[in-house]
Amino acid sequence: MELNKTEQLEAARALIAAIESDNNEQAQQQLTILTQTQESALFNEVGKLTRELHESMSNFNLDSRLIDLTKNDMPNTRERLNYVITTTEAAAHKTLGFIDQTLPLASELKQTAENINESWHRFRMKEMTADEFRALSKEIEAYLPEVTNHSEQIHANLSEMMMAQGFQDLTGQVIRQVISLVEEVEDSLVQLVKIAGKHIDEQPKKDKQVDAVKAEGPQINAADNPNVMNDQDEVDDLLSSLGF
Amino acid sequence: MKILIVDDFSTMRRIIKNLLRDLGFSNTVEADDGLTALPILQAGGIDFLVTDWNMPGMQGIDLLKAVRADEKLSNIPVLMVTAETKREQIIVAAQAGVNGYVVKPFTAATLKEKIDKIFERIDAQ
Repeated sequence: MELNKTEQLEAARALIAAIESDNNEQAQQQLTILTQTQESALFNEVGKLTRELHESMSNFNLDSRLIDLTKNDMPNTRERLNYVITTTEAAAHKTLGFIDQTLPLASELKQTAENINESWHRFRMKEMTADEFRALSKEIEAYLPEVTNHSEQIHANLSEMMMAQGFQDLTGQVIRQVISLVEEVEDSLVQLVKIAGKHIDEQPKKDKQVDAVKAEGPQINAADNPNVMNDQDEVDDLLSSLGF
Repeated sequence: MKILIVDDFSTMRRIIKNLLRDLGFSNTVEADDGLTALPILQAGGIDFLVTDWNMPGMQGIDLLKAVRADEKLSNIPVLMVTAETKREQIIVAAQAGVNGYVVKPFTAATLKEKIDKIFERIDAQ
């Protein structure tokens, strides 16, 4: 119940008149009328604040993206980062393994070449017996195909080492996704601070778009998802089922 | 035979370039996404396109569609080399007219097999 200015003045005048005429009952009545106005204004204000607080809290609760982030994206990010660790680890081991295989091949070639070179030098200096020369010929005969074989093996090993570097692309795609998630979390936290600081205008919630064809980078849990092809063979099967 | 390799990661472009060189294709050019690849294609002289899918700017699938939509480019064979392995994605790529689809991580033998297959088909036509 609110009084306008005229009503307030009227009540105030009546209050003064009642006090002057020692009419206590009338004075009390007028005083109640006047204070009631104050109280109802206060109640209104408290009511308004309560409503705002309630809305803020509901906004906060209903900010499904934030909940989604904590419930789904964060654990997902842990998996992604673990994928980065295992992928880089596997690539490093693969590379180191091929290095381990390649170094002895190079050493063998070098060692045999040095031996032959030494013998050849002795032959050129005419320091070699006929038997020694026969042995040298056999050694050279065995060495030449060995050079071919070892070179082929070294080439193959180097190619494998090169292929292992593909981890940089795969993990790079995953790290980019994590970076964009971190940015989103940052934005959400800024929103949260704003809500906690003061009531903000309600913003339209962005629905997470579901696009089946959108590029996602490497699948982290391919085995758990029947919609994802696990390897080249599955992709080939799908394509041939499409008449490809 | 001039081949355009499109991937946003320079390491992957280098890997594909080296593999192609081993297969006897030493004439290659590179681009880091669809937007930079298109002008190279439009300038002419590219006989074969190898592209990633997931790239900033213009994605590989959109590059494929743009190539197929361009009268002058529509016959260029396109091999997609990508980590995208969802059923819908592979179907969309097939519908858009991709000639081969290699999933990362891949082997040198797989790349060779798919490239051979593409050229076999072209020769048969």
